Amino acid sequence: MPGRQLIMDFEVTPTSHTLEAYRARGGYATLEKALKSMQPADVTKEITASGLLGHGGAAFPVGRKWSVMKPGDGQPHYLCCNADEGEPGTFKDRWILEHAPHLLVESMLIASYALGVRNAFVYIRGEFDLPWRRIQGAVDEAYAAGLLGAKTFGTDFVLDIVVYRGAGSYVCGEASGLITSIEGRKPYPRNRPPRLTVKGLYQRPTVINNVETLANVTGIIRMGAEEFRKVGTAKSPGTQLVSISGHIAKPGVYEVEYGYPWVKFLDEDCGGMLNGATLKCVIPGGISTKVLTRAEIETLTLSHESVNPAGSGLGSGGMIAIAEGTCMVRLLQVLLRFYHHESCGQCTPCREGMGWMHRIIDRIVDGKGVPEDIERLYAISHANDGTTICGMGDAAGYATVGILNKYRDEFEHFITSKRSRFDGRLECLA
Amino acid sequence: MPRLTIDGREIEAPAGQTVMEAAKAAGIFIPYFCWHPELSVPGNCRICVVGVEDKGGEWVDIACNMPVAEGMVVYTNSDKVRERRKATLQFITLNHPVDCGICDKAGECTLQDYHYEYNGERSVSVDSKVHATKHYDLSARIVLDNERCIQCTRCVRFTREVSMSFGLGMQNRADHSLVRAAEDGSFEADAYSDNVIDICPVGALLSRSFLHKSRVWYLKPAASVCPGCARGCAVNLWHRRPEWRLRAADMRAQNEGIQRVTPLENPAVNGPWICNKGRDLAKVFGRARAEVSMLKGRPADLHGALAQARSLLASARKPVAVVSSWGSNEELAAFKAALGSRFTTFVKADHEPQAGEVLEDAILIRADKNPNTAGARALFGDAAPAIPKDADLVLVWGEGFDFRLIPPEAKIVYLNAWLQPENGHADVFIPISIQTERDGHYTNFAGVTSAFSKCFAKPVGVADAEAVFPALAAMAGGGQ
Repeated sequence: MPGRQLIMDFEVTPTSHTLEAYRARGGYATLEKALKSMQPADVTKEITASGLLGHGGAAFPVGRKWSVMKPGDGQPHYLCCNADEGEPGTFKDRWILEHAPHLLVESMLIASYALGVRNAFVYIRGEFDLPWRRIQGAVDEAYAAGLLGAKTFGTDFVLDIVVYRGAGSYVCGEASGLITSIEGRKPYPRNRPPRLTVKGLYQRPTVINNVETLANVTGIIRMGAEEFRKVGTAKSPGTQLVSISGHIAKPGVYEVEYGYPWVKFLDEDCGGMLNGATLKCVIPGGISTKVLTRAEIETLTLSHESVNPAGSGLGSGGMIAIAEGTCMVRLLQVLLRFYHHESCGQCTPCREGMGWMHRIIDRIVDGKGVPEDIERLYAISHANDGTTICGMGDAAGYATVGILNKYRDEFEHFITSKRSRFDGRLECLA
Repeated sequence: MPRLTIDGREIEAPAGQTVMEAAKAAGIFIPYFCWHPELSVPGNCRICVVGVEDKGGEWVDIACNMPVAEGMVVYTNSDKVRERRKATLQFITLNHPVDCGICDKAGECTLQDYHYEYNGERSVSVDSKVHATKHYDLSARIVLDNERCIQCTRCVRFTREVSMSFGLGMQNRADHSLVRAAEDGSFEADAYSDNVIDICPVGALLSRSFLHKSRVWYLKPAASVCPGCARGCAVNLWHRRPEWRLRAADMRAQNEGIQRVTPLENPAVNGPWICNKGRDLAKVFGRARAEVSMLKGRPADLHGALAQARSLLASARKPVAVVSSWGSNEELAAFKAALGSRFTTFVKADHEPQAGEVLEDAILIRADKNPNTAGARALFGDAAPAIPKDADLVLVWGEGFDFRLIPPEAKIVYLNAWLQPENGHADVFIPISIQTERDGHYTNFAGVTSAFSKCFAKPVGVADAEAVFPALAAMAGGGQ
């Protein structure tokens, strides 16, 4: 097991997701403690002290986001749980929604108490079926038990949670796109300023946190910030759920304590590469983070302070292991096809740039590439960097530049010899 | 108020303004496609980037969504900004067909102007363009060319924020996005839909009535006032420049017709918008004209008709006049000065609302379909026309009067611009000029007076009402 476990700390059984089982594990005791012995400001203070970082990809300090909210300033506040897990390679939130939905509900209750929220939303992607049934079931159970929609534990605190199913779009996972979708419109991301904690859902202050981020709240309040900081490293406290896929022996969701050695995680916990293949490179946290080669991760640990200086990031924890023999040109083609398909088309650089990059990479794979195409891909990535409304334009650029920087020779080979350096058959899959 | 520096000029701007607004107010130009002063800020075209000095460096962001801040130092033309604009224009023209040669917008196209000003280079792309519908009927009035569309969403926001029809939206994603009309026909029913043609920064939205009619540089605008209702919106009447007159045999419609109508911004009356009825003024002014004076239906010369009218007036014991609410303030004043004391005068509505027309709304359209009712009533009172039984001479000015209201034995003097059956029944008929053939003023329902100017010469044989009234009075012996 890669370090201590905070979220995946129970045995999964066919009934472990129910309210009964959750209560038997001590569930909702933390909520009662918070409601009866803590002021809302104390909860926020505790979260700030814990140093909890956002798990949606940007690793923004949760305490700083929450501190902007001013409960009791006379206007409604909203909390949205971002369960639109759309980053390719990422499926960690699904585990929480399927197996620990009550942990999320309890955490949302505590967070809403801290933020002065009366109505909270869970925005879940439409493709999720079992996770949706589980979280909707948990919310229904909580209503029936009087935890939601009524005065919780006899206090004056009341919360309603709406589980909202999206219709499936990558940009719905972008915070402002998500709230626009809840409002019933096309999920075009919004310009900042104003920040969403100032003007968010229905033009009111809104906190949007990832499922895993919120799921950590209950644990922090239960054990206290000081105890929580003992897990992980000084700069990355706690754990991260890593969903690993690709050419790996044991793909799946692992809870990794920050600071755990990367190679050890791959070789021991995940059982090494599939059929004894050699690791070529790894995408650390969703396809929008830059790839790292085997040599680069040799000395790294799974923590923000270790991965960020290497020019990448842990992102959303969607790790993809790539075996030696994989054609990086075709890999980039898959990524760019995705970005082209998912660009919302609102702002110019992303709308036009994604399609342009996709057409260029398609042409290279068709054997019609020209030497200037590589520079053109760099230029489009550069023109998308920081010029778009949301982060998607940048993300596509990072992914492209990351692969081009490290595997430029494969692209040059593909363009000059009009075929891949690899024959497309992977030994490990034979 | 925050003080900031834009391109080395220190300016002061109210807090809450954006850099775009502050620069515009100070007369500093920042290019934009999607931004519009009357619409919300989508920030999607990314052409309005400016640089802001920061710790010895410079960061670049869009000006339309950047709040002004104390001590801010902004550059609208730094190297970084120019590079960004160039890259953005490369993106915008990537899938744009650049078919300016057959595009009605050429000559007044923002994209054309910006391309020459800020880019001027060939496309970097060697890949084929994304094709889309080239000719899509957005409504009976508007044709959409999706390939030219740069998806700035101005038109979409117009229907949501100004005309409130919610008639347009964006379909699909990425470079397959298309502007499309709602399926419930709300765009077809939008009485302000044609404004999207004007606010389209490129040639994507085209007026069907102006489609391939003329290159815009052959036309010139004449400032005018829409006579369609009591709002009196300021409009530009575009007509062919005299130096570009077509010389073929029957080109009168092209040379002396209104080619298109666009709004002329007037914050006191209509802002930058007009309704669709105003776009169709060519139909109103293009009706068949009466060009010959008549005595009981027999053609006569203008002088003879005037003399006959004078003699009728001289012998009348109880003359009654019904004046036109389409007359200009000058004409109405001329009538009042010359003949006002001789006649019992009423104001009539020349035009009544037509079936299917929007009667009145909260945006611009008024129920009174005449431009100068307020101006006429200020001079002649607001009593409804009621011809006394003992009237022996009735002077009717303008169309839309029910002649059955006139006592059978009374003599009729009729002044009208259009070819209509009533003309021949009057004892004296005098053809008069129309709005596009003279200068003048209208006073709208709110008391705002707007000027209109002359586009064309009046036909031979037609008189200006402003000259007819003093002539009648002088011939009738001073009109006292």
